[in-house]
Amino acid sequence: MSISRRNFMKGAMAAGVAGTAGSFAMNPAMAAVHDATGERQHDLFKQFKGNVILLPGKYSGSVSALDLSVPETLAWYNFGLAGIDMPIPHHIAALPSEDPYQGFDFYQTMQPPAAPYVNENSPEWRDRGAFKMFKMRYDGSDKQQNKISVVNDISETTGMALGVHVSIGVGPNANKYVAFADGQKDMVLITDLGDTPKIVKAFRVDYDPVARQVNVSHVFPDQSTGKFDFIDRKGMKTSHEAMLGEELMPADPTAVFVDAFTWHPELPLGAILIRRLGCCAIVDTNTWEVKAMLSTGKGAPDNFPLVKQQGYTWTYSVPSVLTPLHEAGFMTSGEYFLACNNVLQNNIAVYRSEDPDPMKWKKEAFVEGFGRKYLPLHMGNVPDSRWAFFTIWARKPHHGYICKVDPKTWKVVAKWHTGPDPHTCDCTVDGQFITTVYSGHQAGQSGMVVIHADTDEIVARLPNPGGMHDHVVVPESWEGLKSSRSTSV
Amino acid sequence: MKTSRHPARGGRLTVGCSAVAGALMLALAAPGTAVADSKDGRFPTADEVGGEVFPRGVQAGDRFPTDWDIYDANGNKTDVAKLIKGKRTVLAFFISAVPVSVEELKKLQNAFTGKGDTQLLFVNSDQVGGKLLGVDPIQETARTVRVIKREENIKHPMFVAPNDALSPTGLSNKLGFRGLPTVFVIDKNGKVEKVYVGPQDWSDTRV
Repeated sequence: MSISRRNFMKGAMAAGVAGTAGSFAMNPAMAAVHDATGERQHDLFKQFKGNVILLPGKYSGSVSALDLSVPETLAWYNFGLAGIDMPIPHHIAALPSEDPYQGFDFYQTMQPPAAPYVNENSPEWRDRGAFKMFKMRYDGSDKQQNKISVVNDISETTGMALGVHVSIGVGPNANKYVAFADGQKDMVLITDLGDTPKIVKAFRVDYDPVARQVNVSHVFPDQSTGKFDFIDRKGMKTSHEAMLGEELMPADPTAVFVDAFTWHPELPLGAILIRRLGCCAIVDTNTWEVKAMLSTGKGAPDNFPLVKQQGYTWTYSVPSVLTPLHEAGFMTSGEYFLACNNVLQNNIAVYRSEDPDPMKWKKEAFVEGFGRKYLPLHMGNVPDSRWAFFTIWARKPHHGYICKVDPKTWKVVAKWHTGPDPHTCDCTVDGQFITTVYSGHQAGQSGMVVIHADTDEIVARLPNPGGMHDHVVVPESWEGLKSSRSTSV
Repeated sequence: MKTSRHPARGGRLTVGCSAVAGALMLALAAPGTAVADSKDGRFPTADEVGGEVFPRGVQAGDRFPTDWDIYDANGNKTDVAKLIKGKRTVLAFFISAVPVSVEELKKLQNAFTGKGDTQLLFVNSDQVGGKLLGVDPIQETARTVRVIKREENIKHPMFVAPNDALSPTGLSNKLGFRGLPTVFVIDKNGKVEKVYVGPQDWSDTRV
């Protein structure tokens, strides 16, 4: 078994081989993981040991692995190497690793620049970039240089290219599945976790604006090829991802903006998030049947009624949509399912989600008080579910903020103005700290902030050159993944 | 499923009128476009946009609203009321970011008989942003419309109508459409005869 430079040095120092360790410390060019002992900021950052953070550079075209305990970038990969012009690494999820310094696998989605640079589009941009999903690998076993590499182009392997959220199964679905979604195509793909992933199930969601119904359908690969025919732009309803508020924009009449699939941590259930309709389709992950269509807005019923099931299509009546939602997910305990309603209503719906029958899930509360300028956007968990964290986004000239919600009262108990255009939250593997990124409205200020989850102190702020739209702390176990990119996004 | 991409362009012409671009739209909106209510970053309430995400919108029998801004394919401001006055009009709204709505242009053109005083007009109900590139969104959108006109071989007049989806008086909220294409057939007196939402089999429909 190979050993990382960091662990080697740690062991060497523990054995009292101070001279050897000292010689390595004086020659950092030889170290694949830097030992910051003795450096002035070490006292601050050493508490983050064990936390490797993946940062997809949405506007830099790269993904990097950050050792928060130094801090330093361990390795990075530019997707131009994968042959993509103007790559836009979008969302990310990491498989658990007992020693992330040694290695781990992760998933990276990608979308064409028409989405993030929607403001700048011109006919010249329309062929640039690509929808992609990659399985990636970080290898820290080499003492000279760490490496990130592509394991598999899942979009090519499956024939379906989706560019938004990726989430990995936990609980009953641990070590089985990964889900990809895309709101430009309104599709979800579930594959296994293999290095050459196999298709498990795929969904497509379409709205019928005349009948005011939504259809959730299984879609199947071509029998002759075993693949779908949705590579790159194929299947795209809208040429850019809907920005916040664009749920009200004119779009393809069938468009509903399916952005993510989130996994129940304790039950064989998952949620397809349907932004434009303010709905979440709850799916049985044993049979992949749709079991309920939650309608999350305040004043809406707990769920919408099934009109019919015909073959592999479930049709639900959606008589009115009081508000869109953005993301929705489960708390780590599985006790609650939380939905970020936004645009027309800005609140967080709280469903109790312990019953195996999602038709029995009821809205018990709403987190409120966000006003008309601030939109609940993303959700972050901690392992013991003592808090829930949310990104509250705002349009310019406002910056948005991060807030902490007490699940005993469903009140906001702390908020932080971390920077303009805040995005996802995650937590360190010990659950003590919250990490969050901000990206400066597609330019300008960007960075990552580390917050103590209990004292509410901002502990650290790191620069971030890529306008990061997402990030993930590599979880240490399948149990730890429950508070990472799985139950929430 | 009506989701095939645009055959000639891969469905990739993208025009954005995003929430993030709101400030830009406000800054460049011409007088007469009531967008001031979203200038401070507020989002509308349901009541302000027709009661929900998918409002009822302008229906057959309603007088067609003409108090919104429109530009021709060269980016020159014109007047909706003058364009439709005294003429039966088939007014087809599309958005260049939505392949299925661009595909509809040629289908509609091929089905249009153009008898008598009926005219067919195409309106791109959006605008290209250009904040980082420093371009004029109206002119840039007009350029995009000219590209579509050329690539689709559209013979009928094409226009640009800026939209602010977050303003209660933005075009899409004023007319109440969410799905494009949406086609209004308006009689010569300005009253709506028929509204078509989504792609149609125009070979079976006289326009």
